[in-house]
Amino acid sequence: MALRPYWKGYLKLSLVTCPVQMTPATSESEKVRFHTLNRVTHNRVMSRYVDAVTGKEIEDEDAVKGYQKGEDDYVILEDEELENVALDNTKTIDIDVFAPSDSIEWIWLDTPYYLSPNEPVGEEAFSVIRDAMASEDMVGISRLVISRRERAVMLEPRGKGIVLWTLRYGDEVRDENAYFGGVDDSPSDPEVVLLVQQLIKKQTRHWDSKLVADPVQDKLLEIIEAKRKQTKRPAKTKEINPKPAPSNVINIMDALRKSVEGENRRGKR
Amino acid sequence: MVVARANWKGFIKFGGVAVAVKLYTVASSSERIAFHTLNRVTGNRVRRVFVDSETGDPVEPEEQVKGYEVENGDFVVLEPEDVASAIPESDKTLKVEAFVPCNEIDDVYFDKPYYLAPDKMGADGFKLLRDGMRKGRVAALARTVLFRRLRTVLIRPHNNGLIGTTLNFDYEIRSSEEAFDQLPDLKIEGEMLELAKHIINTKKGSFDPKAFDDRYESAVAELVKAKIEGRALPKERAPSPSKPGDLLQALRESAALVSARKPKRSSQKTDDGASSRKAQRSSRSKRTA
Repeated sequence: MALRPYWKGYLKLSLVTCPVQMTPATSESEKVRFHTLNRVTHNRVMSRYVDAVTGKEIEDEDAVKGYQKGEDDYVILEDEELENVALDNTKTIDIDVFAPSDSIEWIWLDTPYYLSPNEPVGEEAFSVIRDAMASEDMVGISRLVISRRERAVMLEPRGKGIVLWTLRYGDEVRDENAYFGGVDDSPSDPEVVLLVQQLIKKQTRHWDSKLVADPVQDKLLEIIEAKRKQTKRPAKTKEINPKPAPSNVINIMDALRKSVEGENRRGKR
Repeated sequence: MVVARANWKGFIKFGGVAVAVKLYTVASSSERIAFHTLNRVTGNRVRRVFVDSETGDPVEPEEQVKGYEVENGDFVVLEPEDVASAIPESDKTLKVEAFVPCNEIDDVYFDKPYYLAPDKMGADGFKLLRDGMRKGRVAALARTVLFRRLRTVLIRPHNNGLIGTTLNFDYEIRSSEEAFDQLPDLKIEGEMLELAKHIINTKKGSFDPKAFDDRYESAVAELVKAKIEGRALPKERAPSPSKPGDLLQALRESAALVSARKPKRSSQKTDDGASSRKAQRSSRSKRTA
């Protein structure tokens, strides 16, 4: 399933430019998602804007961003106007600096995105930039305006594409010395370290995404299924004899999972 | 320096050894620029209210419950205690379930990092785990209930201490293989690759997070000023992509440019000298930040 790109623009190295698109690496589509309900009526709860002065409900299209200029003094900014903000990196990732790939500590990595060519015309230029970084074992450092902030970003070749990480701001990361400064640095007993190393070796496995499975989500689905049976009422359905639910728990789980996927896909507001 | 209060206290358990640790937030993400939502018609601020979608009546927070849609419009209601019952009892223990080689770890799963420091009496075991992992070039995977959610935490040595990074679950991440599956398998070789490598090497530097500043806020202030004064701001023009036929030529010209500028730029100014030739020729609207 092709995802709608989160951002479209250009990747640039000196005079080489190619159209690219970016999608987040994280995905909500297979997560159990809940809606907010009114406990009394069981109807869905929706969020509405009301005018703070008149108290009247306003239409969604009348909600607009305001830049605070002074007390009770706002300038209205339309989204299209904001797009014209005078920074040269709202549409172009111009790779300005390259750094050895292991020189950026994991602590700076904030959010990952997948970057790929957006049109066939750019595929070769994209591949040139990617392969040159890979063969020099370097990552690219650039700036990009996304989510109404200017971010430092890191570009790292990965397979046929490029992973783009937003990097944390310098003032967001707390100084580790405040936490680790007190750890005494006398060496551990080498014999015991050897023992620990043996233990570690025995428990070392290859990385596998199965290592990050979530037992809670399955449990939640079980709870939902149990409650569903318990509260089964012919409430809104006209069918008097609904088909009996298959008793096989595994089938029910599969069905639930499928419905989560299907529902999330169209549930995007 | 005043040390912040620990966000969590507990134990790391590996091979029968329990080490008392304290966990601290590494990064606070700050919202840089806050816009307010206004009513376009009146110019007043707006408030958000929650209403029943059928009756239109306001619904107070204590009347709001979670619902899971099982059929079209049919919901199973989940009270907070139902959700809580799915989460295992917190035993305040990061139990190491496996070690994985650092170079195999897929960092795309990373969520948030935390500093892990030894609590009183925990220093010996702490150092053993840290040094053992460092020597073996591995990190530990542990599970625990953190802030009322079951989390997988990747624990790795970092200077004198440890860093625990919460990981996203498998279903929360699209793999890079899947994301890049449709891309053509183009391998670049020969002169093109050599030229691009040369350009990269002339732009070699480092990332200095302390030197980076977010210019967005001042750019918005500039935009507001222009709007008030009735000025139009210059629009950024989309660059023209290099056509496959011109790619080698573009690389040759780029390589010639960077070679001509041999004394390397010392600062990270973004205004790019590489395109200055073109810029001078084509437009005067290019801004220097």
